[in-house]
Amino acid sequence: MDVLSNLALGFGVALTPMNLLFALIGCLVGTLIGVLPGIGPVATVAMLLPLTFQLEPVSGLIMLAGIFYGAQYGGSTTAILVNLPGESSSVVTCLDGHQMARKGRAGSALAIAALGSFFAGTVATALIALAAPPLAKLGQSFGAPEYFALMLFGLIAAVALASGSIAKAIAMIFLGLLFGLVGTDANTGSQRYTFGIPALSDGIGFVPLAIGLFGISEIIANLARGEESRSVLDRKIDKLWPNEEEFRRSRPAVLRGTAIGSVLGVLPGGGAILSSFASYMVEKKLSKTPEEFGRGAVEGVAGPEAANNAGAQTSFIPTLTLGIPGNAVMALMIGAMTIHGIQPGPLVMKEKPDLFWGLVVSMWIGNLMLLVINLPLIGMWVKLLRVPYRYLYLAVLVFCGIGVYAVGNSGFDVLLAALFGVVGFIFIRLRCEAAPLLLGFILGPMMEENLRRAMLIGGGDPMIFVNRPISFGLLIATGLLIAVLLLPAARKGRDQAFQEEA
Amino acid sequence: MRKSLLAAAAAALLAAAPFAAQAQSEPFPNRQVKLVVPYAPGGATDIVARVLADRMRVTLGQPVVVENKTGAFGILAMEEILKGRPDGHTLMVGNVSTNAITPIIYKDKMKFDYETQITAVARLAVIPAFVGATTAGDFKPQSLKELIDYAKKNPGKVRYTSAGIGSYPHYDAAIFAKRAGFDSVHVPARTGAAGMVGDLTNGDVHWAFINVASVAGLVRAGTIKPLAVITDKRMPEFPDVPTMTELGFAGIGTFNWQGLFASAGTPADVQAKIAAAVNDALASDDVKAALARAMGTASPTASPAEAQAWLKSEIGIWRKFVAEADIKLE
Repeated sequence: MDVLSNLALGFGVALTPMNLLFALIGCLVGTLIGVLPGIGPVATVAMLLPLTFQLEPVSGLIMLAGIFYGAQYGGSTTAILVNLPGESSSVVTCLDGHQMARKGRAGSALAIAALGSFFAGTVATALIALAAPPLAKLGQSFGAPEYFALMLFGLIAAVALASGSIAKAIAMIFLGLLFGLVGTDANTGSQRYTFGIPALSDGIGFVPLAIGLFGISEIIANLARGEESRSVLDRKIDKLWPNEEEFRRSRPAVLRGTAIGSVLGVLPGGGAILSSFASYMVEKKLSKTPEEFGRGAVEGVAGPEAANNAGAQTSFIPTLTLGIPGNAVMALMIGAMTIHGIQPGPLVMKEKPDLFWGLVVSMWIGNLMLLVINLPLIGMWVKLLRVPYRYLYLAVLVFCGIGVYAVGNSGFDVLLAALFGVVGFIFIRLRCEAAPLLLGFILGPMMEENLRRAMLIGGGDPMIFVNRPISFGLLIATGLLIAVLLLPAARKGRDQAFQEEA
Repeated sequence: MRKSLLAAAAAALLAAAPFAAQAQSEPFPNRQVKLVVPYAPGGATDIVARVLADRMRVTLGQPVVVENKTGAFGILAMEEILKGRPDGHTLMVGNVSTNAITPIIYKDKMKFDYETQITAVARLAVIPAFVGATTAGDFKPQSLKELIDYAKKNPGKVRYTSAGIGSYPHYDAAIFAKRAGFDSVHVPARTGAAGMVGDLTNGDVHWAFINVASVAGLVRAGTIKPLAVITDKRMPEFPDVPTMTELGFAGIGTFNWQGLFASAGTPADVQAKIAAAVNDALASDDVKAALARAMGTASPTASPAEAQAWLKSEIGIWRKFVAEADIKLE
């Protein structure tokens, strides 16, 4: 009953014309910056922060939240159309989404992504309304040892991201780990592999690396193909809407992706990033036709897209219920709350129920708006693919350049993106896949940090990983996974073993 | 084709040149003013800069934009304000870590001479801090004295967090532990105040110096127990929390201050004009209220000369702290 009266309060707040307008503005801005590579929600929310000083706190937060999850919708668009991931979560969407586009199924991929995201957003929002405090507790039970074990599991499972040779996938993961080492060591302040370049002291940025390895290298590869086949499309564009088979295959993937994203999103710092990768791996392992993954499997779009949107929604849980921001956008939301005199923490739900419930309900309304905004846009996006490649690639390169520059106002990053574009082209020619590299790059520094923190917390005793039940469980799972990968006899039964585990 | 392009470019340059010259001779501000922030969006320094920029735009009659330039302990942001002509259009909003501690401990990483090439134009705000302890798990200390006793009885088992190696909460905690005579393990958080709050909440670390704005809500909810405040007098919002001075640790604990910095080559009249715009902003009700809600206080300086004298004295104080804490950096 409580929930119903709270939801009624929430709808009362979220449905005022003012708040509807700000939700719409947030969603539109979010979609736009999601589509533009590089320019992410962090920079946008920061820029719009002063604007919220003059607003009611709840209107301001509704708008900022809309930008954040709106960007998740928009981010998949460029990933699918031109293989350009703007955010870490859309790296996974590139893998099969862009392949679908090449086969003339761009419209279908975009529609599945939007519908899957909407479903996931609805479920995750309901979850926040019903179970935010216990979920927050779950997130809090993850300390450094648990994170380390989770990331170790993720890293081993990353092998599944590759559609080709396992040896090459492992090599790429290690390369990613090495790139992740560049920068200032957090525990001692010493410089690693920075070659005296100050711009490298904070490490290699994710955006230049991802845009170089995916977007720019794809352009080089296309140009290298010769005049006549120089197009994004291998085949002509089919009808825009997903066909029955695609719907049928997507449904379970969306359900699983939603579950994975909802749980991982609650973990502050890194959980949401893992969710789309995790969903992809699960789908590939459960699929009867894993060989289709990396070549345009619809589940490879549906699952991860649902997972990243669910994760984006549930990452609000620790922020709203505990006052602990899980990522940079949440830190900005906390900043916005502070400026409005709201002290983030466990009391917000009790002292400002209108704010909490208004925001939660507006998230669902925002998701609905995003669906309405995105579905009609699909036709327009797909038409974009018919633009002759000699114009299209120039436009994409220019947007890449602007996007990469805008992240850190750094010309060095643009050079870095260009360099990684060339490196990525070499990878394509060597048939080495970039996705495992990126996962290694994302997970490596987090793993290192958590390993060292866990050792500090455990007083130098590695038993801390075994004494904590969650971390111990994850380590056992990792051990099983390695055994399955290594034992040649088990190779045949690999898919089956994964099924049992999941 | 090529030639004509070149010619067009040259013509464009020639055409633009008189305008550029004209723009330079016009009084400050004749174009957009940029505030470079050495931190990612969302932190205390970033928010202070954004609140200020919003108001200075009105006073100066030119757009004032905030640009985040993180990295190298603030050195990259400093390099940004030293680029180009020192005409006051590119300024830096820094804090105690970047502009008083970095020049001491990372002097060898700077390609410029901080003390002669960068000057303070104005002090902006100060944010006080708590000594906070976790209430998670079996951590029982309820007062600063109990924390000290507990740490002495359990050497190597009590951990504190900070915003990173060489950050001001790191120095504060190291000096406090040294003067109180106990050992505590440093577990730095990678993501600033947000990371510190998370680690204190789940009990991975036990105590820290942490700014009041970041934990006020958690203190009221009982998640984090405030053991002391670093202010001279008790804070009206938290009348039950004793001051460090009351507890016998006068002089320990850093107010996180924010200041506005410029290239030292900036003409004195331009500096004065900027300082006046800053003070006007800090005196406005909007800014005062915004800072107060974030538990900070506007703390203006009367003139750029006063600001520079204040910066010099801060660096002097930190030289002593750095020597006393003797934290190993690589």
